[in-house]
Amino acid sequence: MIHVYGVVDGLEELPPLAGVDDAPLERRRVDGLEVVVSLARTPPSAEVTREAVLRHAQVVEGLLARSRAVLPAQLGRAFRDEDELAGALRAQATQLGRGLDRVRGCVEFGLRVLPVDTGPHLDASSGAEYMRTRLEELRGQDRLVAELHEPLARLARESTLQRDDGGIRAAYLVERRNAASFREAAESLERATELAAVCTGPWPPYSFAEGDS
Amino acid sequence: MSRSLQHEVTLLELVDRVLNKGVVLSGDITLSVADVDLVYVGLRVLLSSVATLEEQAQLSAGGNAR
Repeated sequence: MIHVYGVVDGLEELPPLAGVDDAPLERRRVDGLEVVVSLARTPPSAEVTREAVLRHAQVVEGLLARSRAVLPAQLGRAFRDEDELAGALRAQATQLGRGLDRVRGCVEFGLRVLPVDTGPHLDASSGAEYMRTRLEELRGQDRLVAELHEPLARLARESTLQRDDGGIRAAYLVERRNAASFREAAESLERATELAAVCTGPWPPYSFAEGDS
Repeated sequence: MSRSLQHEVTLLELVDRVLNKGVVLSGDITLSVADVDLVYVGLRVLLSSVATLEEQAQLSAGGNAR
């Protein structure tokens, strides 16, 4: 079974780490695309363990530090053999090439703002009460977006935004040379708000590895 | 911002990224993620020991604790 960590461009050297199940990391090149893999010697356990999550994340992080571009692979798929891997890479080559261009020279930051406490209204007994609570929640979210997300999005090359349960989750694709100033801006916004806002990163660009730009 | 909240959120973001984001390469074998909550809780235990070590290292280095 072949486990893929990511598609890389300009990888200097493999990070000094072992992969999932302690298997050594290896490089594979198919039609100009390079991927970093490890081979599981044991038969597939077909289950993702916490150790695998951590190992995968560490390897991808190591690749980020040593390459010009890395497209992190989602954990959860594996290949039976080399032919299957090569076939899949050929089939997705155009898309993967575009993906590498998109994230080249960039890292990702995350922002999570935990839900605004809507207090006693939560136990809404009437429809009108419920609507009022919901409206307050939406207004609170709009404020979060305007005060926290938008200033950060302006510093990023791209951003994504998700509203969930009164809070927001956002991701930002930031050029490496702007990473320090982005981090500073995020931290000063964190301090300025009374809400539970947490900026994380720099991450490998997981949130910008899939789909159209 | 409390340190523990920062840790919790970082962990949540890590698990979310590794399992839900990233480019999907169409491998034939699909690994099952039995229980994301279990993965998350397990990682929290695993990482908290790493974090403790790092904090100790920072302290002993006369670090720049804010």
